[in-house]
Amino acid sequence: MKPAILTDVTKCVGCEACVWACKEINELPTIVPRTRLSAETWTVVEKRHGLNVRRQCMHCLEPACASVCPVGALRKTAEGPVVYDASKCIGCRYCMIGCPFKIPKYDWNTPLPTVKKCILCFEKRLAKGLQPACTAACPSGATIFGDRDALIAEARERIRAHPERYIDHVYGLEEAGGTSVLYLSSMPFAALGFNTEAQSSPYPALTWAVLSKLPNVVSVGGVLLLGFWWLTKRKEVLEKVRNGETTLEEARRENPHLFGETTLEEARRENPHLFGETK
Amino acid sequence: MNTQLKTWIKGWLSHLTFWRTVAITIFVLGLYATVVRFAQGLGAATNLSDEFPWGLWIGFDVLVGVGLAAGGFVLAATVHVFHLERYKPIARPTILTAFLGYMLVVVALMFDLGLPYRIWHPLVMWNPHSVMFEVAWCVMLYTAVLALEFSPLVFERFGWVKPLRIVRAVFVPLVIVGVLLSTLHQSSLGTLYVIASDKLHGLWYTPLLPVFFFISAIAGGLAMTIFESFMSRRAFGRRLETELLDGLARAAVVVLALYTLLKVEDLMGRGVLGLVFTVTPESTMFWGEMALGAILPMILFAIPQVRRNETGMFLAAVLTVVGFIVNRLNVAITGMAASSGVLYIPSWMEFTVTIAIFTAGFVLFGLAVEHLAIYPVEELPEPITTRDRTVPLYLGGTLPKGVLIPLWALFAVGALLVASSIRNADAEARIRQQSEVATAPTAQPDEAAPELKLPAPFAFAPAEESPGVVTFDHRSHVDAGAPECAACHRNLFSLLEPGKPLEGDLSYERVHEGDLCYSCHNGDEASAVDDACESCHK
Repeated sequence: MKPAILTDVTKCVGCEACVWACKEINELPTIVPRTRLSAETWTVVEKRHGLNVRRQCMHCLEPACASVCPVGALRKTAEGPVVYDASKCIGCRYCMIGCPFKIPKYDWNTPLPTVKKCILCFEKRLAKGLQPACTAACPSGATIFGDRDALIAEARERIRAHPERYIDHVYGLEEAGGTSVLYLSSMPFAALGFNTEAQSSPYPALTWAVLSKLPNVVSVGGVLLLGFWWLTKRKEVLEKVRNGETTLEEARRENPHLFGETTLEEARRENPHLFGETK
Repeated sequence: MNTQLKTWIKGWLSHLTFWRTVAITIFVLGLYATVVRFAQGLGAATNLSDEFPWGLWIGFDVLVGVGLAAGGFVLAATVHVFHLERYKPIARPTILTAFLGYMLVVVALMFDLGLPYRIWHPLVMWNPHSVMFEVAWCVMLYTAVLALEFSPLVFERFGWVKPLRIVRAVFVPLVIVGVLLSTLHQSSLGTLYVIASDKLHGLWYTPLLPVFFFISAIAGGLAMTIFESFMSRRAFGRRLETELLDGLARAAVVVLALYTLLKVEDLMGRGVLGLVFTVTPESTMFWGEMALGAILPMILFAIPQVRRNETGMFLAAVLTVVGFIVNRLNVAITGMAASSGVLYIPSWMEFTVTIAIFTAGFVLFGLAVEHLAIYPVEELPEPITTRDRTVPLYLGGTLPKGVLIPLWALFAVGALLVASSIRNADAEARIRQQSEVATAPTAQPDEAAPELKLPAPFAFAPAEESPGVVTFDHRSHVDAGAPECAACHRNLFSLLEPGKPLEGDLSYERVHEGDLCYSCHNGDEASAVDDACESCHK
């Protein structure tokens, strides 16, 4: 089973049970505005054109945040959730730049800040065989937990059964190469503040296309530079010989790595068949 | 005692030149900003936010700082790999600048990183898929290489023969490793943004960002070396290495031409050339960067008369350096602004820290020149002519005024355009938002409110004197149309562990006067508990 969440925007009544359940399980401060995601609010119900839109981490199948993290503090677990190890984090905030959904948030007002985002209740509930706090608390069935494939089938079935109710798109099916959190809506997702420009292939491939070439850059570049060094150094030494600053023998003795093992005369004597009769 | 103190203060004040006062002021303000940053966090000292997590410290201190130190690897390669020995006199100061530059980049990172004391983590916690991981390793290794490249000066100073011989023996491989590491991380600073494909504006976003960052770092490094030579003459009375600077300038022409050509090709290839010709804050900044910071200096450097002219040379170098700085700030700030949805302007503390770090660089450079053989000793400083002293280079010098006035006018026009377009964009964004709200289809209100799945009614075990069993039913407590779970589940009752606060004693007082039913049923928010027993006890 690939754990996933399906949020049906048309069914949400805006009671914020998910928000409070999230705060309860993660022990987050309760006296803060809940208009958007923040370090203190990991899931939020946004009011958009009369609809209640619950936002949270999308738990990408191939998350950009985990790929960009220099120390592997963010990690995609084998079970599915994208989790965070605060003890590794150095606070570079590259995850915030990399995430196409603008999910990771930061503790801006403490001297020792960490990144904050939904971790799908990985340790506190999933590991114990429980569903995440938010879906468990939802009284209207607007946000449900289950196997990703089953939820995709369910979403398609709802669209088929009520084409007048839904726009024909399951958000998260292909966005960013697929996410574990899926959405159904009656309105275009762009109007609800979703990133509709998100590419359908995984984001980490973008930087990997560059990074994977670096070993070649190093090896080819290293050989080229050494080659240039050898050629120009030899030219420089020969120039000195030509100017009479030193003799060939001396240069040869001082820079054995720039010249061959034998002299031309020797080579000629040993391999007469390779050279002409005359000089 | 009193007179002694007075003489001491007088003596001290006499050393207090204008620039020293400026430097001290900057350091004092910087110290204040540092205290705020580390005592209260990034939010108190910077204008960074969840919407704009990377600002001036990354854009300027890191991207610009590393880029302008590129002269170090370019000249090291020129002298020690390509054996263009005549550039040797300027290699040392350039390598020193690079070394100082990288040290200061690390200092800046200590300010920007949320948990700077963990800066060593990438050494032991690996993620080879991360560009940042690669940058961290390269910058660290390259700083070590620069320290070694720079170390002969220190060894010479103290006459340590043995370490000097060791470093000399490995110098060539060291330089080659340094060039490779520089190639990697100069380009990788661009690669950092390759994953931000939805966020970085189309004028700058391209999968070729690493290539552009690498080429522009070479151009910036060359121009910075020329610029530094002028600065050194001013500060230390050094003779200008005119022939060498001429060579650097000609190299810069090639590099800038290559950059411009690739840029046009890339914009065309991605089909976004139109963005260049639409008036937006982004396109204005792009023109500033390309026209004034790449194409104009390329033309200036290409003209032999300009290269022979000190002012022309200085101006072209400054234009290239400024163009480079604007390019990095465009990628880090201008290009990320639209997608962030906020207008990020660095706080005064961010500016102060940045300026203080750069001032520290100048001071350290001065100290190094004073105490180490940065410049070959046999050269005697050329006496500064009266012309140099009276006419500041940047105000005209030897270039005819006819050339300079239009140039500065162009700058002024550019600045005005940027300022006005920022305001326009603000207004536009507001209008767009309003019209979006107006035209967006409104959601159809549901015919009937969806039925809520609520927990089953819960019957309390009656106490001895209870007049009847109390059954709590969610349905009589929840408005199905607009449920407010938080009213009770915020502090009072757990959402996840039903019945948790009901453990223990259910005394009369707790229910009727304490933290249970009474917290709402107090006659204020809901009917009081003692009004009618039978409404609950049944």
